Amino acid sequence: MAGLPRRGFLLGLGALAGAAAVAACSNEAPAGPPAPGGPPAGTTTPTTTTAAPTYTGEAALVALGAALSALAGDLLGQAAAGAGQGRYGAVPGVVTAYLSGSAAQHVAHADAWNRVLTAAGQPAVDGSPLSIEPALRARLGAALAPVDLLGLAADVTGTVAATVTAMTDRLTGPSALSLAAGVAPVAAMHGATAGFLLGRPPTAPADPTAGALGPDALTV
Amino acid sequence: MTTPVSGDVPVLQTASSLTVLTLSTYQSLQALPFGGGSTSLGPLRDLIAAALDELARARTDLADATRAAGGRVQQAPNPRYAPVVAQALPTVRGPGDVVGLALTLEDVLAQTLVRDVVDLAAPSVRRTVTGHAAAAARRKALLLTLQALLSSGGAALVAVPPDLGALPPGVGTVGFPDVLFPTEKASPSTEGAV
Repeated sequence: MAGLPRRGFLLGLGALAGAAAVAACSNEAPAGPPAPGGPPAGTTTPTTTTAAPTYTGEAALVALGAALSALAGDLLGQAAAGAGQGRYGAVPGVVTAYLSGSAAQHVAHADAWNRVLTAAGQPAVDGSPLSIEPALRARLGAALAPVDLLGLAADVTGTVAATVTAMTDRLTGPSALSLAAGVAPVAAMHGATAGFLLGRPPTAPADPTAGALGPDALTV
Repeated sequence: MTTPVSGDVPVLQTASSLTVLTLSTYQSLQALPFGGGSTSLGPLRDLIAAALDELARARTDLADATRAAGGRVQQAPNPRYAPVVAQALPTVRGPGDVVGLALTLEDVLAQTLVRDVVDLAAPSVRRTVTGHAAAAARRKALLLTLQALLSSGGAALVAVPPDLGALPPGVGTVGFPDVLFPTEKASPSTEGAV
């Protein structure tokens, strides 16, 4: 898969980082609450596409990164929005801030993965077409309390970190590899923060790729 | 574990030098009463213990990769930062100082490992190093969080599990300040070469 010229790509990432860092420092959710009469948080219908593209080779890895980051961003953003609406009882501000901030960064990661795809002449991933999506949305829909939201966040961000870490031995394009190198540690930081808020031990996983998804998790 | 690539050797040696220094610094911090001793805060004590295990694994993995690439294993601490640590250790007076010193080293280590992922040629080593970069980033996130708690409310806020209702909202995001992990503080790949 052809990559972007490295200098231009990194400059683009710099602008991306600045914009999303502002979002991460805000206590506002990255997406507004659902419209009145809309579906409750956690019950969003999975995105469907027509004439869905098929990704192969390295493009499939990049598409996996895009879809998984998009899913994490959407789930955590929905959780933050639901918390703001009182859906999970009294949610401490630190939890809402965590959900909003991490969601914004995952959304930014999805955008960056998609830029790598489109720069190589591939279509961007629409939504989060992943085999794990229905179960995770159901889990969010069943959440009752802040601890459920943090547990979901810890698991999802752990999956992102493991998946992106695992793909670094197969990526060859400099743009995709640079992005993976920058994303995996940040996803790990999301997981560490969720673990801290849950009172879990600070231990990193002995196998940093345990639970990683492969391209076969894509449903397009 | 690795496809031998001799060009990877200085990269791995430099990463080893930072890992050795960070590991030995945590050992020194753990020996302090307010680091890993009787008066230490639980989360900080647990973090130091976890860091020692994780960094020992990193040192072993980097040594294995160095040998496989045909190089000599770097067992000495990083020459640029070792004097900084030697100067700083006697000035550590409390948990805030412990966190500050550890954070300085973890940030350089993590940034170097992230940069290394792009520079390394052997695919399996890239994957291994990414895992250790993520572990260092996890520790950085926790150290940033502890630093914020210590500076905002003192030791009372540092508890397991934390009192979520008492934590300032900003603590929820202080552990991940960058959308993409930065690399501007990464050590040059020859800095710790043998």
